[in-house]
Amino acid sequence: MPWQLFLTNLPYLLVGPFPQGPLGGAALTLVLALSSAIASAVLGLALGIALALAGPVARVPLALAIGFFRAIPVLMLMFWTYFLLPMMFHVDVPALAAVVCALSLIGGAYLAHSVHAGIRAVGDAQWQAGLSLGFTRFDALRYVVLPQALRIMAPSFVNQWVTLVKDTSLAYIVGVGELSFVATQVNNRLMIYPIPVFLFVGFLYLVLCTALDRVAKHWLGRVRRPAVGHGVLAPAAGD
Amino acid sequence: MMHDWLAPKYLLWLWQGFGVTVGLALCAGVAATLGGFLLALIADARWRGARHAVGAYVVAFRNTPLLVQLLFWYFGAATLLPDAATQWLNSAHVVHLGPFALRWPSFEFVAGWIGLTFYTAAFVVEEFRAGIAGVAASQRQAALALGLTPRQTFRHVVLPQAVRISLPPLFGQYMNLVKNSSLTMAIGLAELSYASRQVETETFKTFEAFGVATALYILAIAVIEAVSHAVSHARDRSLARR
Repeated sequence: MPWQLFLTNLPYLLVGPFPQGPLGGAALTLVLALSSAIASAVLGLALGIALALAGPVARVPLALAIGFFRAIPVLMLMFWTYFLLPMMFHVDVPALAAVVCALSLIGGAYLAHSVHAGIRAVGDAQWQAGLSLGFTRFDALRYVVLPQALRIMAPSFVNQWVTLVKDTSLAYIVGVGELSFVATQVNNRLMIYPIPVFLFVGFLYLVLCTALDRVAKHWLGRVRRPAVGHGVLAPAAGD
Repeated sequence: MMHDWLAPKYLLWLWQGFGVTVGLALCAGVAATLGGFLLALIADARWRGARHAVGAYVVAFRNTPLLVQLLFWYFGAATLLPDAATQWLNSAHVVHLGPFALRWPSFEFVAGWIGLTFYTAAFVVEEFRAGIAGVAASQRQAALALGLTPRQTFRHVVLPQAVRISLPPLFGQYMNLVKNSSLTMAIGLAELSYASRQVETETFKTFEAFGVATALYILAIAVIEAVSHAVSHARDRSLARR
């Protein structure tokens, strides 16, 4: 692709029609990813703690609800939030909110199991130690178990956030002007350069995801105390 | 909320969409498993260049959205093909095998198949590698000490144990594959999500259209879960009998 064409379209890919119009492109991808990352982390923590604390009776409906969100494609859930919520509640749900809602629900459902597993991995002895020191169940969780569990589940959070960044591309299907959407616009406008356009957009996502992965894991590695053991399996290749 | 239920015609659309979803997932699942296994073998090769190539492949395909990859294969890679090949892909081809007619799939299907295969293989290779790494080193040493060649060691000692470790996460990847196949609607493949959208726009029965599609996805996931369960139990039993 001639450099001239590339340079004229670069701002549109990065921020969309921003100063004149709404924010779009890679910047909107970041906003979507960030808001759904926060929402899914909160939701995942709440659901995971609920799973860990729930009795055998309450756990069944909770696990079923989480299982439902894990079993359906993100795209399907986006249809639900985008097309059905407005019809059921007679409110106008903006496409952006529908996308963030769907991404957070799915992300939260996946994280709930990581949080639950993290809490279980800390072990009963820690719970018992906390309770025997006179903590309430909630305080034992808050001050004894959760700080250790968070360290164990941190890598799952990072992986889930990387998945989230990639899944924001699905907003394309409901017409939100994020990076993939503006990429197809640019591709349609230029007509004859599909390969450079999609390679460049793929590269932008690659940089975004790898940077997030590396920075978060580096930061977590520094926070993590050296005494904490690692998993049994070898680290994943490609890192 | 009392509506009439969906007309049989629309249920048939959804059912056909489900068929495309299942077919696509099966094709891509087989290809991605073979490709991922091959890549896992290459990743353990002695030649460093090959190992780095696999590492780069995994990073590139795991850290870019499947949607962008599909758009690339559909819009981009198609322009690289010679005109004759494009024409051949876009026209219908039917092979008659006795009572069955085998139809060469549409270009959308092929692009989706390729995209899903490359994407899923990048995940499958990691599951296989984790499985191979999860076999204790002493197993390999024991086999070598018994006089097995490295190839025999891999084939008869390491691989069976590695497959056993990899199977549960591998089935998890197959579930992801079924869910990811919904993205092929972006390149115009008439699979389940596409069909549900179509039924919805035609009938305005949003709840029913998406409800049936969602139920079919859950059904597919449940079947994979059941197969995963059955396979690992069957393996356990067959290993116990030895």
